[in-house]
This record gives sequence, C-alpha cells and structure tokens, in this order.
Amino acid sequence: MGAEENFAGIRKGLLEFAILRIVAGQLVYAADILQRLGPTPFATQEGTLYPLLSKMRREELVDYQWVESGAGPPRKYYRLTDKGQTRLNDLSAYWTNLNHTLDELGR
Amino acid sequence: MERVVTINLNGNPYQLDESAYDALRAYLDAAAKALGDNPDKAEIIHDLEQAIADKCASYLSPAKTVVSQGEMSKILQEMGPVEGEATANAGTADGGAKSSESGGPAPKKRIYRIAEDAKIAGVCAGIGAYFNIDPNIIRLLFIILTVVTHGFFALVYVVMMFVIPSAITSEEWAAAHGIPFNAQEVIDEAKRHYRDFTADGPPWSGNWKWRRREWKRAMRDRARAFRFYWRYAPPTAAAPPTGPVSALVRHFGGLFAFVFAIVGAALLIGFIVSIISLVSTGAVLNWAPPVGVPLWVAILVLCIAFGVINGLVHTLRGISVSMMTGYPSWRYHDGGFGGLVVLVIVGWIFYTYVPEAHNWMLLTWMQLRMWFETTFNVHAING
Repeated sequence: MGAEENFAGIRKGLLEFAILRIVAGQLVYAADILQRLGPTPFATQEGTLYPLLSKMRREELVDYQWVESGAGPPRKYYRLTDKGQTRLNDLSAYWTNLNHTLDELGR
Repeated sequence: MERVVTINLNGNPYQLDESAYDALRAYLDAAAKALGDNPDKAEIIHDLEQAIADKCASYLSPAKTVVSQGEMSKILQEMGPVEGEATANAGTADGGAKSSESGGPAPKKRIYRIAEDAKIAGVCAGIGAYFNIDPNIIRLLFIILTVVTHGFFALVYVVMMFVIPSAITSEEWAAAHGIPFNAQEVIDEAKRHYRDFTADGPPWSGNWKWRRREWKRAMRDRARAFRFYWRYAPPTAAAPPTGPVSALVRHFGGLFAFVFAIVGAALLIGFIVSIISLVSTGAVLNWAPPVGVPLWVAILVLCIAFGVINGLVHTLRGISVSMMTGYPSWRYHDGGFGGLVVLVIVGWIFYTYVPEAHNWMLLTWMQLRMWFETTFNVHAING
C-alpha cells in the first residue's frame, strides 16, 4: 500500500511510456490497452486513458484507424507513428540511463 | 416506481432508470468540465460514451433491458474520473481529489437576475442571492427607498433590469449564488461544510444548531441548482421536453409571456406611483382612505392588493413561459395561487378573530363599493 500511494507520481509520469510500449507491439484498441495495463502497477481507467491517448495523438506519437468489429460499432485501433517510435527509443534510452545512474549513486 | 430514460450513446439507444441517468449525466458533465478547452473534447467524450455503452451492453440481455443505478455507478466507477490538463497537473487521481476537497478557490460570484425567484424581473432575487440575504428584505428596502426618494429607485430598478444579465445556464445560476454546480464540486463543498460544522464547537452549543441549519439550507440551494440544471440544460442525447410543443402554441406562449411581463412591470409602476401619491397627497386617483384609517393601513391594503394581482399575473406569465418552452412550469406553481391561498387564510383568521380587523374590513368593503358606484355610475346588486 505504501508503494502504491507514495509513488503514484512516478507511475503517472511513466504511463505514457507504458502505453507507447504496448502500442509499439501491435495494433490495439483502448480496451486492449486497459486490459494489458490491468495487472501491472500502471493499471488505469478510461477516464485517464482517453484524454491521454488524445493528447498523444495530438502530439503525433500515435495514430489510429477505424476497424470494423464483428460485434458492435467500429473501433479505433492505435498504432505507433514514426515520431512515436523515436520518442519511445528516446524514452527507453533515457530510462536505462536513469536506472544506471541510480545504481551508480548507491555505490 | 422509477421512470425510464432512453438515451442515445453514439447512435445506439439504451434504457436507464432515472437515477442511473442522473449519475451518467453528472459524470459526462464533470468530464466535459475537466477537459475544459481541450481541442479533442468532443472526440474524447464520444469515446467515453462509447466505452460506457459497451459496458452497459454487458449488463443487458433480451430479458433485461434497463440499466439500474447500481449498475451505472459500478460502470462509472470503472471508468474513473476524467482527467483534463488542469487536474492532470494537480497530481494523481486520488491526490487530486484530496487537494480539491481541502478547498480550492471559492466559486466566483456574480450578480445575475434570477427569473426563477422573480417577482418582476428578478433583480431583487439576484441581489439577495449575491449578498446571501432574503430577497424579500431587498424588495422591502427597494420599496422604502422608492417611497423616500419619490420614485427615483423605481427608475434604478428599471435600469438594473436592463443592465444585469439574467441567469440562464446552470453555471450562471450557480455563480449568482456563489455555489458550485458540478457533481464533484457539490460533493467537495458538502464535505467541507460537514467538516466545518463537526470540527469545532461542542455539539450542544446553540452555535452548532445554527451551523447545522445553515448547512441544510446550503444543501437545499445545491439541490435546487441541480434541478435547475436538468431543467434548463437538457442534454442533447436525452429525451425531449415533456410533450411536443407546436409552433403555434409556442408563439402564443411567447406573445402572452411578453404581454404579461409588460403588465407585471406596469403593475409595479402603478403600485409605486400609488404609494407615492398616497404618502404625498393622501389619496390615490380620486380615492382617499376613509377618515380614521391610518396611513400605514392604507399602504398595507395597497401592498396586499398589489401582491394578489401581481401573483396572478406572475402565474399567468409562468404558464405562458411553459407553453413557450415546453417545460413544465413547476417553478411558478407556488408563486401566485399559493400566495393567494395564504393571503385568504390569513385574512379569514383576522376577519373571524379580531373584531377591529372585522370592522375595518367591512368598512373598506363599503368604501370600495361606494367608490365603485360613484366612479362608474352603476348600482351594485342589493345596494
């Protein structure tokens, strides 16, 4: 519980990173993303995800296309754009760097 | 028994019971507010509606066609609060809720005319709401000032009528009272008030009682704000107003609403002129109060007469407005006839139990009849 509450800010900051990772792997729609995040510490809800996805789309990190679904209305499937791929690479490198630094500091 | 509301979520009809609908409405409004001027607001709301629709579908089957309130609140719980740019910066979801609970800036307060509580144009009601005073006190002040200044304040009123905007949307209504208007703000406010009045002071002190009353009153105001909201900001996806209103009826309603508004204003001016003339010359038109009737009684009679006639005009105006808009005129029903009934009961009690009042009323009646007969040169039945 302590970690859950105390590090909410960190998780929040990294949520975009996590979403980029998921979207990079495959074509997904919003419910898929929620499902993938569900069991992780990044578990989130529509109320948070949708505004964030729209922001990422505005920043041209992700893009979506409408795909007809067997049941119900067509769904928005998200994929990574080139810019998103660059951002993901940058973030990954930065994250590794951060981890490395933190490990070094402890010595 | 609950009413069922059919809503349209992205082109698919869903049936909700009324409280479920209210919850959904509050959620979507809070979402719209949180998103603020986000350029993708419409799209995000659209997506949210779609997600809610999907979740609703999972609760429904051929045997079960209506989403209940319990199910809806579960769905909305799953959706989570919508985070806009503003709330996202404030911290995490739970952190954000905490910070807003501990009192953000007080809602902005502005003067509006409040047609809902209006006797004439809602100026006094608006001022009363702004200063948190009973509007009747403001009205009395206005009348006294009008008399003292020989009618100057009636002019002030007319000017204010045009200068002060009317509270039309729920935001404006809330701003007029300086109270929050969306669900989250209402809840936060309620919590804060509750804490305030439980935090300090022993429960047996008179102060506490007063505080509790204040709190209850404040809650009632909020409930009214909400009713007002549902009534005047009908959601696009919701059921249309009760019963279709034909264009003809609407035009007639509009015409009559206008006419009655004018009549009401004319009445007020006539009333003020009468008071002034009564005070300065001791007579209204050609009628002077009978000898022995003190001035204040004459003024009281004038006030009561004005109250009765104005109440009737107000009610008619309310009916016209409801004809025009198609919304039931619940807010006018206690205005005119209710006041009349109270007046009649009070009058009857006085008439029965206070001999002086009894005599005085008889005398007034005689005077009135005499005046009527002489003025119009007719003879009343059984003269």
